[in-house]
Amino acid sequence: MSRILAALTILLALLVAASLALGDVSLTWRDIYHATTGTGDADPQSVMIVFDLRLPRVLLALLVGVALATAGTITLAIMRNPLAEPGVLGINSGAAAAAMAVIVLIQDPPVALLQAAGFLGAAAMALAVYALAWRGSTSSLRIILIGIGLSSLATAGTTFLSAFGDIGSVQRAMIWLAGSVYDANMVKVRLLALWLIIPVMLAFLASRELDLICFGDNYARSLGQPVDRVRGMMIVLVTVLSGAAVAVSGLIGFVGLVAPHVARRLVGASHARIFPVAALIGACLVVAADLIGRIVLPPLQLPAGIVTGLVGAPFFAYLLWGRRHGHE
Amino acid sequence: MATNKDPAAKIASKGLDIAYGQRRIVGGLDLVIPAQRFTALIGPNGSGKSTILRTFAALMKPSHGSILLDGRDLRGLSTRDVARKVGVLLQGAVAPEGLTVGDLVRQGRYPHRSLFSRWSAEDQTAVDEALMLTGTADLADRALDSLSGGQRQRAWIAMTLAQQGEAILLDEPTTYLDLEHQVELMNLITMLVEKHRKTVVAVLHDINQAARYAEHIVVLKDGRITAAGKPEAVITAETIADVFKVKTVVIRDPVAGTPLCIPL
Repeated sequence: MSRILAALTILLALLVAASLALGDVSLTWRDIYHATTGTGDADPQSVMIVFDLRLPRVLLALLVGVALATAGTITLAIMRNPLAEPGVLGINSGAAAAAMAVIVLIQDPPVALLQAAGFLGAAAMALAVYALAWRGSTSSLRIILIGIGLSSLATAGTTFLSAFGDIGSVQRAMIWLAGSVYDANMVKVRLLALWLIIPVMLAFLASRELDLICFGDNYARSLGQPVDRVRGMMIVLVTVLSGAAVAVSGLIGFVGLVAPHVARRLVGASHARIFPVAALIGACLVVAADLIGRIVLPPLQLPAGIVTGLVGAPFFAYLLWGRRHGHE
Repeated sequence: MATNKDPAAKIASKGLDIAYGQRRIVGGLDLVIPAQRFTALIGPNGSGKSTILRTFAALMKPSHGSILLDGRDLRGLSTRDVARKVGVLLQGAVAPEGLTVGDLVRQGRYPHRSLFSRWSAEDQTAVDEALMLTGTADLADRALDSLSGGQRQRAWIAMTLAQQGEAILLDEPTTYLDLEHQVELMNLITMLVEKHRKTVVAVLHDINQAARYAEHIVVLKDGRITAAGKPEAVITAETIADVFKVKTVVIRDPVAGTPLCIPL
């Protein structure tokens, strides 16, 4: 466990360092060292590149990764379905529909409004899914089915708006939806960090509840767990976490699905162990995706969401394949 | 206690109606589960056995009537209170992938722990004892999905024992087990009742198994009690013919002396 954590931390540190060094203007290790410590003859231009451009961006990617992985871990546990990720609660499609509406209906909206709309859309959808799935108690299957239904409804709304909206606005919305951390700044980083700290801690504290709810509603209840209350509170945490991630970075897929699965394979079924490992994996994935998106086709920047999709899908297939053959 | 011929009721239901939606499964059930005895519920498929078990464990709410657990109304108890008194093994229990026997049994301590309490010496003792009683101590580090059906069943029973409730409810615990493991499991239940004063209620499919091991048998048909009492009193050709629609001869089991029914 501690070996895995150490290895992942080193990997993350390397990715962060590489993200600071690589880009349109490549910096040497010495430049970065001088820029970050403020020692020697720090070149003002490299100081600017490191602190104003690359550092906020890499930190934002890291935080988004942690949020997505934590939300994914919770969703996997409460839905008891290996393919469940925060998207099944309608969070992504809700955020997308709300953001599209704001962009198309209001000419040139401020970014903050866009983010608020994204978060509210996500929260409204999660609430609607949970409320519609309630029949005296909750069932994970009902939540998944209603989530899929409402998601397609919201997606239809998004498509409708994009078909009739002004082409320039629609394109801006599409870029936002593709999932990227390109317009990062330190204020955003601090806000997201503050926003995430409590839900991430609460999720970690709830590890034992998640361990038990994995057994299924009947068993969890027979051992004294108030299943509906726990599931409801966990859905709130998922909404707060991934709603915030979607609001600042658009739709970055696969991280919420891949990170908890990989973590589980590495450290077993206990959530107290899964959470830190999944969070580090999520951070590595998004930081790496953003780095790759910036450097493969310069000066073009691929949105991180597209890279995670491109890298995540085959990786996930490989995982499933390995599980099929490694089982016996 | 030794002279007490009519032991106190551990669980009792009064006028219990249970329904799935509009369909009534159990109607007007007055059932008494004697404390510190092994009670078997038998009856054909759809007679409401499993439904009754689930309702006793507070997993289903009755539409009418009440259930008394140690003389207290079940409705007044929280799920956690119930979990401290009653352990349940349901059919087709599935644990998360890769879980070890030790992990599973430790879950049994859930109702005794608060959100911030650490794993206590008391928790560890309860888990060790449960593993020892069920003979699963050697398997504690093995993954549950790598075990045989019989071992897995004993691990689940160990989890219910770690709850340290006085009552254990088992839904068809011997189904899908081979004969050796069936006998092993029935002996485990007998030991828990006789030596550890547990109250065990099991839904059983095998009438002869029920007659051989249980001290109290409740025969159910269409959600109502047809007969209840000692095996000798309950297992008769008439009752079997009435409930299971099968003609049988009931003889004395040459080994245990209990009723043994043989279809004609």
